[in-house]
Amino acid sequence: MERQHNSVVRTPLNSVVVQRRSKSKSYRQSYRSCLGAASRLGLTPALTARRLNTSRRAPKSHNITDKVDPEQLTLLLKTEWKLSYVTPLYQFRHTQLKSYSRQLSAFIAAEKQQGLAVDAEGSQSSFRVSFSVVQGMTETADDAETVLIQIHSKPMFAKQDDPQKLVWSGWLACINGNPDYLSSLSKDFICLPLFGSSGPEVLTTLVKSWFQQMFDCCFGPLEISHTSLQWLVALWTNCHTESNIQHLRMIWTLPVTPPLQITYTVDAQDAWELWSSVRKDPEEESEGGEEVEEGGSIDLKEVMRFMQGLKNHFYRHFRLDLSAGSLQQVSTALGSAKYSGRIKVSSDGKNCSQSFSQDTFLLTHTRKDKCCTNIFFLSF
Amino acid sequence: MEGASTRGVLSHLSLLEVQARSRKTQPQQRSRVKELKAEAEALMIQRDKLKAEIQTHERLQKLRMSMDKQCPREQEEEEEMDEDSEDSQLLRLMARHTHLKDLLHAHHLIGGYDIIKTHQGKGVCVSVATSYEGVCLDTYNLEIDLKPKLRISRHNVPPFIPLNSLAEQSNMQTNIRAFLDTLSRHLNAFAGRKQQLKLLKEQHKSVEVMESNVLCSILVLMLTVPREKTAVLCTLDYTDHTRCLPTRVHFDCEDKELPDSPEWKKNCHLLMETPVHTALLTMKKMGNIV
Amino acid sequence: MDDSAKRLLQRFMRRIPTQMLKTTLEKWSRLTVAQQKSLDFTQSKWALTEALLDICEENKWTTKHISELEMIYVIDNPNQGMWHAFQLMDPEDDAHSVELTQFKEQFKSHLSELIRHVSVKIKKHTDEAVWIRIAWGDSYSRPNHLKPTYVVHYLQTPYVFVTSLTSKQKPLLSQALVLSTRHHAIKDANLSGKKFTAIRDLLMRQYQQAFPTKYPSPLKEKNQTVSNPLIEREQAGPAANRLQMACEAFGDGMLPQLQSAVYKLETKFRDQTNKTMTEREESFRCVVKFASTNLLESLRDCASSGIASTPVTPLLSSIPLKGRNYFVITDNSPGPSSQMHQKTDG
Repeated sequence: MERQHNSVVRTPLNSVVVQRRSKSKSYRQSYRSCLGAASRLGLTPALTARRLNTSRRAPKSHNITDKVDPEQLTLLLKTEWKLSYVTPLYQFRHTQLKSYSRQLSAFIAAEKQQGLAVDAEGSQSSFRVSFSVVQGMTETADDAETVLIQIHSKPMFAKQDDPQKLVWSGWLACINGNPDYLSSLSKDFICLPLFGSSGPEVLTTLVKSWFQQMFDCCFGPLEISHTSLQWLVALWTNCHTESNIQHLRMIWTLPVTPPLQITYTVDAQDAWELWSSVRKDPEEESEGGEEVEEGGSIDLKEVMRFMQGLKNHFYRHFRLDLSAGSLQQVSTALGSAKYSGRIKVSSDGKNCSQSFSQDTFLLTHTRKDKCCTNIFFLSF
Repeated sequence: MEGASTRGVLSHLSLLEVQARSRKTQPQQRSRVKELKAEAEALMIQRDKLKAEIQTHERLQKLRMSMDKQCPREQEEEEEMDEDSEDSQLLRLMARHTHLKDLLHAHHLIGGYDIIKTHQGKGVCVSVATSYEGVCLDTYNLEIDLKPKLRISRHNVPPFIPLNSLAEQSNMQTNIRAFLDTLSRHLNAFAGRKQQLKLLKEQHKSVEVMESNVLCSILVLMLTVPREKTAVLCTLDYTDHTRCLPTRVHFDCEDKELPDSPEWKKNCHLLMETPVHTALLTMKKMGNIV
Repeated sequence: MDDSAKRLLQRFMRRIPTQMLKTTLEKWSRLTVAQQKSLDFTQSKWALTEALLDICEENKWTTKHISELEMIYVIDNPNQGMWHAFQLMDPEDDAHSVELTQFKEQFKSHLSELIRHVSVKIKKHTDEAVWIRIAWGDSYSRPNHLKPTYVVHYLQTPYVFVTSLTSKQKPLLSQALVLSTRHHAIKDANLSGKKFTAIRDLLMRQYQQAFPTKYPSPLKEKNQTVSNPLIEREQAGPAANRLQMACEAFGDGMLPQLQSAVYKLETKFRDQTNKTMTEREESFRCVVKFASTNLLESLRDCASSGIASTPVTPLLSSIPLKGRNYFVITDNSPGPSSQMHQKTDG
């Protein structure tokens, strides 16, 4: 993987030259491409095509710390992000980040003066916005670099020399974007389809409306489907031998009155043993004629067998069918994901060396990365 | 008649006698046949009647059988009946009558408790009704497993009634009737005491209930003597939990002599022998309390 | 008025919603009519607190009086904090004749024998419940009124409900309770929750249970026709049958608002389709937590709607049946009495 040596940030330019469509048309176009997707995630079919595969293969292995600054990576870990999808940004330039920082600061300040919702936050005075690039947070050459946005503020009654506090952060990313789709876009559009935010909702709304005005894009909620959550259950469990998952926790909601929530927490080792027992027999696999690298791919059937095994054990005791409910949330020590589109990736800390601990976020060491990449993979 | 003179009078007489006899028997025989015929007819009628009765009985039996078997599904049964005559309606009523009579008999045999089979006969549900002074109060239920031995699996008896020790003491395993009787006495007495307390609070606003407990086995009342306005603390102990009446009545008063006065000794007897709310009513009428 | 009384009043004022302040003060009945009138309940909490502090100062009221006020509020609003149920065991012969005055004296004297600095306040509520407020100190410090333990007991019943009790205080309270109620032992009843009323109603069986009686009482019958004509129409159907079984397992009508139940399962993994796991020696360890705003009503709906199979598994019906919401489930291995042995499915 080529490393970026200069400070100029790469904005992928594709060779296909398409004339710029009229503003309204492009808006409609991008909007449609987002909502028209078959998936309930509301993504473009192009981008979600791979997500719906019934089998996943481990992504190319490379060390994330070779690519991404560990300090920047820390900023993305241990925080729960609320995910949204974003349509392609019109005339967004990675070279203009400083100017964007100034403009968004001014925008927030102006909105605040208008007595908009920010006032409800009360104690915050001036907001300082900073845009930065998280270099290397990409998978393919076509992926645009991830952009991190941070908003700092000083409480109203803080002393002069008190440092400003981080009150909001968010990012826009494209990891593993579909090359066909990306290359079909006009060069005026940058595709950063995943938006994660963490902080007061009022600020999220302001940031979103600024982006909408500036780059003619739109945002929409991103749910993590039940199937995706089930994939995560399996993928995280699969990581257990490499990095202790501590426990496997699943939360279901049953549609009864009043609604019933069931939290099912399985011991990490027992979950892993059940997982291995439902994995395909490698011999059986080769009989099928397909050559598969050892442990290289996970089949949807295996995921379903695993889930069924967990449900059967539950049913045997409670005679209550979990399939009647919906899986709302899954979590392990590696992270958590919710149906509502909230996701958190934790570093696995204690047991691993320092350099290791941050790898959890994204693809490095073959096995571990599998789950992490897939989080983004799934949510894209 | 010449011969007659030659054969003599006697023979003539005997001839006459035979003649007369034969004259007599002829109509006699005729009436005998009639009689027999009538009797046969009567017997035939009786036979038909019996036949009909047998038939009725058989049908009744059949009805009863199906009634016993599928009590809750009487409607279906009605559809099965081919004829909708008055007879069949009557029959059905008769069957129902005998059925109810049998149930009542069984009910008496088991001591008047409502018992229902549960879990395909693996258990029973017993209802113990309570009442006080003709007023129906709470009904308590026990679900009892029958095998491998009698076991109370579920109930709604309040926790201050020592259900398990009652079951042990009265040997539930061998004598369920005795257990149910004891339990019923406890529950009825509790319901009675509770009802008395309720009536007392409703009817005697001038009497202050100082203390009571959930089992209603202790009752401390503040009574006031008219004129002097002396306060009398009246403690009622219901140590025997199977009874609605106290086992001990005690008065406390600043006027140490008051409890020993003949009037208050009478009050004590009254409270020992009549339900507290009626006793207080009498005491009020006598002018002993406000 | 000393500092601790002041702090107690301030904390009390922070806890109580303003709209409840008036009635609570009236029940306290320590303020004169004039004092009561002088309080303007539309004022801010801060101003009200200052006004009350002045009145307390004037009357030289101490923590004793303020804790009384707190107790009145807690008794009226018991659904706060975490309540734990305990069960008294092996009553002595005279246990049923323990009456309030005797209990009060005994409890106070037993507890103060065990710990030097302790402040106990006992109050009987209208529903026969005996409420006990304990402020604990130790051999060196005076009772801390800011962290009192509340205990509720109905005399002549085996149950005790406790909130805010530390593990250090537990043996002291247990001993005082056992001695003053004339029992031999006390044990954890494995039932806890935020709603005091729910765990009380569950253990005292103060809710409507359903039984398989064929002939409902006339009163009940009348209610049923009014409330649910649909059920009667479907009486013969399997839905009605499920509803009946659901009601028999969890209760009828409004049920105690229990909010959660936890099962710690350490049982073998048995699944015909999974030979490897079924042959595994070790048990499959997991924890299952059920949560709802009204757990029993949710479970009843599960059973009546068919999401849960009927007859209801003993694991779930044990919640109301045994009055517990914490279970450790193992495979028939001998163990402590708190364990519930799993029945093998036939």
